[in-house]
Amino acid sequence: MAVIEVRNLSKTYRVYQKSEGLWAAFRGLFRRRWREVHAVRGISFEVEQGEFVAFLGPNGAGKTTTLKLLSGVITPTSGEARVLGHVPWRRENAYRRRFALVMGQKNQLWWDLPALESFRLHQHIYRIPPGEYERTRDELAEMLGVRELLGRPVRELSLGERMKMELMAALLHKPEVLFLDEPTIGLDVVAQHTIQNFLREYQRQRRLTILLTSHYMKDVAALCQRVIVIAQGRIVHDGSLEGIVERFGRSKILTVQLADGQSSRDFHRYGKVVECQPPRVKLRVPRQGVPELVAAILQNHAVEDVSVEDPPLEEVIAEMFSCVQQQTSQESPSPVSTSSA
Amino acid sequence: MAITHYWRVFMTFLRNSLVRDMTFRWNFIINSISSLSWVFMNLGFYILIFHQIGSHGELAPQSGWRQYEFFVFLSTTLLINSIVQTFFMPNAEEFSELIRRGGLDFALVKPIDTQFLISLYEVDWSSLANFVFGLCLLSYSLYRLDYHPGWFQVVAYPFYVICGVVILYSLMIALASTSIWLGRNQSLYNFWFYLTNFSRYPMEIYRGPVGDWLRRIFTFLVPVLVVVNVPARLLAKPLEPEHWWLMLYALAATVGSFALGRWIFLKALDSYRSASS
Repeated sequence: MAVIEVRNLSKTYRVYQKSEGLWAAFRGLFRRRWREVHAVRGISFEVEQGEFVAFLGPNGAGKTTTLKLLSGVITPTSGEARVLGHVPWRRENAYRRRFALVMGQKNQLWWDLPALESFRLHQHIYRIPPGEYERTRDELAEMLGVRELLGRPVRELSLGERMKMELMAALLHKPEVLFLDEPTIGLDVVAQHTIQNFLREYQRQRRLTILLTSHYMKDVAALCQRVIVIAQGRIVHDGSLEGIVERFGRSKILTVQLADGQSSRDFHRYGKVVECQPPRVKLRVPRQGVPELVAAILQNHAVEDVSVEDPPLEEVIAEMFSCVQQQTSQESPSPVSTSSA
Repeated sequence: MAITHYWRVFMTFLRNSLVRDMTFRWNFIINSISSLSWVFMNLGFYILIFHQIGSHGELAPQSGWRQYEFFVFLSTTLLINSIVQTFFMPNAEEFSELIRRGGLDFALVKPIDTQFLISLYEVDWSSLANFVFGLCLLSYSLYRLDYHPGWFQVVAYPFYVICGVVILYSLMIALASTSIWLGRNQSLYNFWFYLTNFSRYPMEIYRGPVGDWLRRIFTFLVPVLVVVNVPARLLAKPLEPEHWWLMLYALAATVGSFALGRWIFLKALDSYRSASS
């Protein structure tokens, strides 16, 4: 049975549309223009126990909204969802004891106190027996390498250290499902790496189900077998990361190593020259015509080596987002309604 | 089981707040001094009034509150307000921020009653200075009164002090909850202060065409008048039959206020939108 089941889930917000200027602000006192924002539009998916799934999408795509719906923080406009057999927005304690939510941009630890004090509060809120609490705490501190920081006030910690503490706080009660919203945002490469390693190791050991949103493709590539791409509130791809390249990558990168004395001048007729450092030329070529192009190059030039690669993942994703955005904006311009309130 | 669970969590709130307050000890000391000096100024003002009218004179003509009776009233106000300030005020102030910045998310995912969590999360220990002073003033005033309250009054007094705290707290949480719909409501929070101002004086002074209406409004619509009046009268004056209904009413007002406050709070949570990250 799936741990997370989502069917036709939608969330629509009504936001007050502010106009510029003093006069407009004054008119806004009496007559308000409301705009409907469809943060999530009828998404459906299932996640099995032990899966590590990434949500990808541009800003405002609905990733965070989905996580908030699944953790019961907000109530949907329509649709159904079940996590561990519970309807999240009923906010039953039986459900809340079994999952955790970590948000990279929000902080839940007591700012002026050592993280240890916040952990103790979690111990009591989640009713963790003392022995088990100490064991779990020490284990997590060991894995994250923060043992000696536990007694330092949270405000004196670096962003990376604080994030590790947030993760610890979230995992003390051994949740079966973990929602991670941008856990590595704003962190330096070293801290990002530590957190990635930790998450991979922890997930491998405990086989818990994780849903992660991130802007860093490296997080996603390092951790998740499955990627759900969401844009403008809709799921546009659900599958492997490589699948995205297969489906949305329109070009390949061709690197040609020329033999001595060969000219690289007329290579632009094969495709877009990305980089030209003789004797090496890098080309971007359409995906379909690769075999023919390679044959033609081999015929016309003395070549030492040829390699064909996919373009960097970030590029493919960016391409995909702009492609999806164009499609959806043609389909349905976002409706604006006016009402007095 | 549930009660010990909540008790442990509450104890941790007390402990964490105490650790924090002790870390910033000057802040703690200055807070205590500033709230105490406000109390002294108030007390000085009333001593001045009774100096003018004599200690057997009444606060307002025919109000029936002479100096030490009124000081029992005043110390009851102090006790109730200091409990509210210690336990609930910092949290109600924070609640509006939690909503505006989306920090309520974390409270909503915890397996514990959300109202309990956000109402008692922080404790302002420095406000207890007023509580201690209130106790001293109460003891001294009782000692100076000729009248000795019976055992029933001694038992019922703390009970009705707690009822008063519950009424003020419920009003506060109801007003603070509205920031979920309004986005921002500092002014409503101030409104709480304006309303509770009416609780600081004996009911008897609300007389005449305007006074009668004020008394009805603040007894039946927003029951802030019973908050201090019921326990203070219980201790400072002999029990009279007409006060029984007031005591019963205060009990009903407490239950009603709490239920209404909780209802508004839960309704508000359903409309919570959570600030985008």
